[in-house]
Amino acid sequence: MSGRRFVALAVIILFLAVFLPRAAAAHTYKIGFIASVTGPGASLGVPERFVARMLQDRLTGQRGIVGPDKVRHAVEIVVFDDQSSADVAAGLARRLIEEEKVTVLVAGTLSGPSLAMVPIAGEARTPMISMASARAIIEDPATKRMRPWIFKPVPENLHSAQKQAEYLSAVGIRSVCHLYENTAYGQDTFASANAIYPKAGISIAYGDSFDRTGTEFPQVARVRASGCQAVVIGSIPPAASLINVAVRERAARVRIIHGHGACSPDLIATAGRAAEGTVMPCGKILVADQLPANDPVRAFDLRLISDYRVSTGGQPISTFSGHAYDALSWALAALRTLPDGLPLPAARQAVRDALETKIVNFVGTHGIFTLSPEDHLGFKPDDFAVVTVKGGKFVILPRNQWK
Amino acid sequence: MRGLAPASATTVLERQRRVSSALWLAGIVGIMFVTLILLGRRHGFGLTDYLQFLVDGLQAGAIYALVALGFVAVHRVTGIINFAQGAFVMLGPMLTITFYGQPLPLPPAPRLALAAALAILMTAGIGAAVHRLALHPARNSSLLTRIIITVGVYLILQGAALLAWGPRPYVLPAFTTLEMGDRSFLLGDVLVRAQSLWIWGTAVATVALLAAFFEHTILGKAMRACASNRLAARLTGIQVDTMATLAFVLAAILGAVAGIVVGPVTRPTFSMGLEVGLKGFVAAIMGGLVSFQGAVLGGLILGILENFWAGVTLAGFKDLFAFVVLIVLLLIRPQGFGGAEEGEGT
Repeated sequence: MSGRRFVALAVIILFLAVFLPRAAAAHTYKIGFIASVTGPGASLGVPERFVARMLQDRLTGQRGIVGPDKVRHAVEIVVFDDQSSADVAAGLARRLIEEEKVTVLVAGTLSGPSLAMVPIAGEARTPMISMASARAIIEDPATKRMRPWIFKPVPENLHSAQKQAEYLSAVGIRSVCHLYENTAYGQDTFASANAIYPKAGISIAYGDSFDRTGTEFPQVARVRASGCQAVVIGSIPPAASLINVAVRERAARVRIIHGHGACSPDLIATAGRAAEGTVMPCGKILVADQLPANDPVRAFDLRLISDYRVSTGGQPISTFSGHAYDALSWALAALRTLPDGLPLPAARQAVRDALETKIVNFVGTHGIFTLSPEDHLGFKPDDFAVVTVKGGKFVILPRNQWK
Repeated sequence: MRGLAPASATTVLERQRRVSSALWLAGIVGIMFVTLILLGRRHGFGLTDYLQFLVDGLQAGAIYALVALGFVAVHRVTGIINFAQGAFVMLGPMLTITFYGQPLPLPPAPRLALAAALAILMTAGIGAAVHRLALHPARNSSLLTRIIITVGVYLILQGAALLAWGPRPYVLPAFTTLEMGDRSFLLGDVLVRAQSLWIWGTAVATVALLAAFFEHTILGKAMRACASNRLAARLTGIQVDTMATLAFVLAAILGAVAGIVVGPVTRPTFSMGLEVGLKGFVAAIMGGLVSFQGAVLGGLILGILENFWAGVTLAGFKDLFAFVVLIVLLLIRPQGFGGAEEGEGT
């Protein structure tokens, strides 16, 4: 073979070697999954990662998902840890979008990192489903319109505050203290309380933030001085447990109300006896076995709980596992509507549109979701169950027992 | 306690310096107290509340004091600011929890004591390893290089802790009840936790033991000699490098003790060392990094004032206070409020 022909053949082979595999790889859908597996958000992120692993095993076993044109696609969930840091999350989101070329992001255990990733996903025109609760994630606070590329199946602090206000009014409390952790999540709980409580006739006598890693809580002196009838805590364990313990130490009779961020077995593990009698609005999955038999969420949750227990070797379910499961379910449902052969930008657009229009009466762990262009959340306050801690366990508190 | 102060009679200049130091400190602390109390009036605080702030602040202060002592020990003997100190504070309780969880045929109280002792021993060993493996090989590098190495060591130790224990918070039982909930006493209307008594007792005992060590043991005197003038110490036959390792061992023991005794009050986790390490550093700076008395005093004052500040202003800014103090201190009196200072020889 002459030198020139050899070179031409080599170039052709090289060309094929580079481009042929790429054509085959387009069949694997990639979901970018970012959770706070380490750092202060770990008690939320670890259960979420368990769910991602469980679903990946399930998908591998089923050999992926099938599109409307009967073409089978493998699904890969690429898992990263944002270390509860907004900076790390932003970098990871960029990496997943640009280098890993994911079709959809399921990202953000905490509100802070989620908010940091929102503009990145928006600019890159990649749909993102967050697992955090702040309203600002899906709604632009300036225009009050839905952000087109961002979704979340997680109830908000506004819903939590509404349920808390309902409970507080029913038991005759008019004056509360509100202690919140000094993070985006905590501040959002405080803003929600300020927005909702006055309408229900409840005044916030004293509101202050606290450090998640503190060991002394001088706020408790202010709580006692203010004479409030209940203390509302907007935080996640273990910080929520520490402030719970501190308040209980010095004010043995004041009621303690948590937000939905505390709905995790970690609260009881780290607060112990101090958590007894505290009340909080929680996702139904936490108390699925106590739901009435006619609730469609009950059967769904019980099945998930047993699958989760098998997959993780006995870990108890938490509401955060539920958020991750709902978010990933939405992503998979949207991916299932994609015809084969879409280039990446079109695939991302198609997933976005599917999320807005194809998630209707979708049974999830926290309720039955219906999304629309005006509502990227699909959750209503009544999807919450009001729960108390009794005997070291979470127990549903039905309305007739509110006193 | 004289720590590493010279045993010779104080000169007139020394006495003047000490008095000026004391006056400065009293003046600044006094002004801060008055300001904070005035700020607190709008909340309607009474004496009880201020006493509660004081008691809680003394608890935090005792911890900062212990951590600060570790900084001072290393700095005096080697000149290094050991930013890995916080990691020692974290290792103490985490190792204790692990050892306590082992199935040993002992009742809970001796088991906890044994676990704590083993944890302190192991942390001391890690301290020695840190010096021998990370700092001794760099002994001819600049001071700055060695300080940055300690930052790297902190990250390595924190990363190892994450791998060993995971990200979750753990529970160290209170020493009095041997379970998560602690007993507490009411003095008047002021709540004092049983664990606070343990913290204060440990701090006092540690400071006394440290003083006895430096005053009455050969090893302690040798370390003081290194701190005073390294070259002269080497000329008298003292192994300066061994003393440096010993300083790290001492810092590790102090850090571990602080961490173990504050462990029941918080939920120990792999990342708990950073903040307490930084605050202990601020306390050490208040002693000019060379004075043990200054460090202890600095720790106590920092703990009390920080708690007052958080109580009368927005409590979410509690950490801000420590770092504002640091900046202000370095601006107006960088030599701190220590007692006698040593000329640092090579």
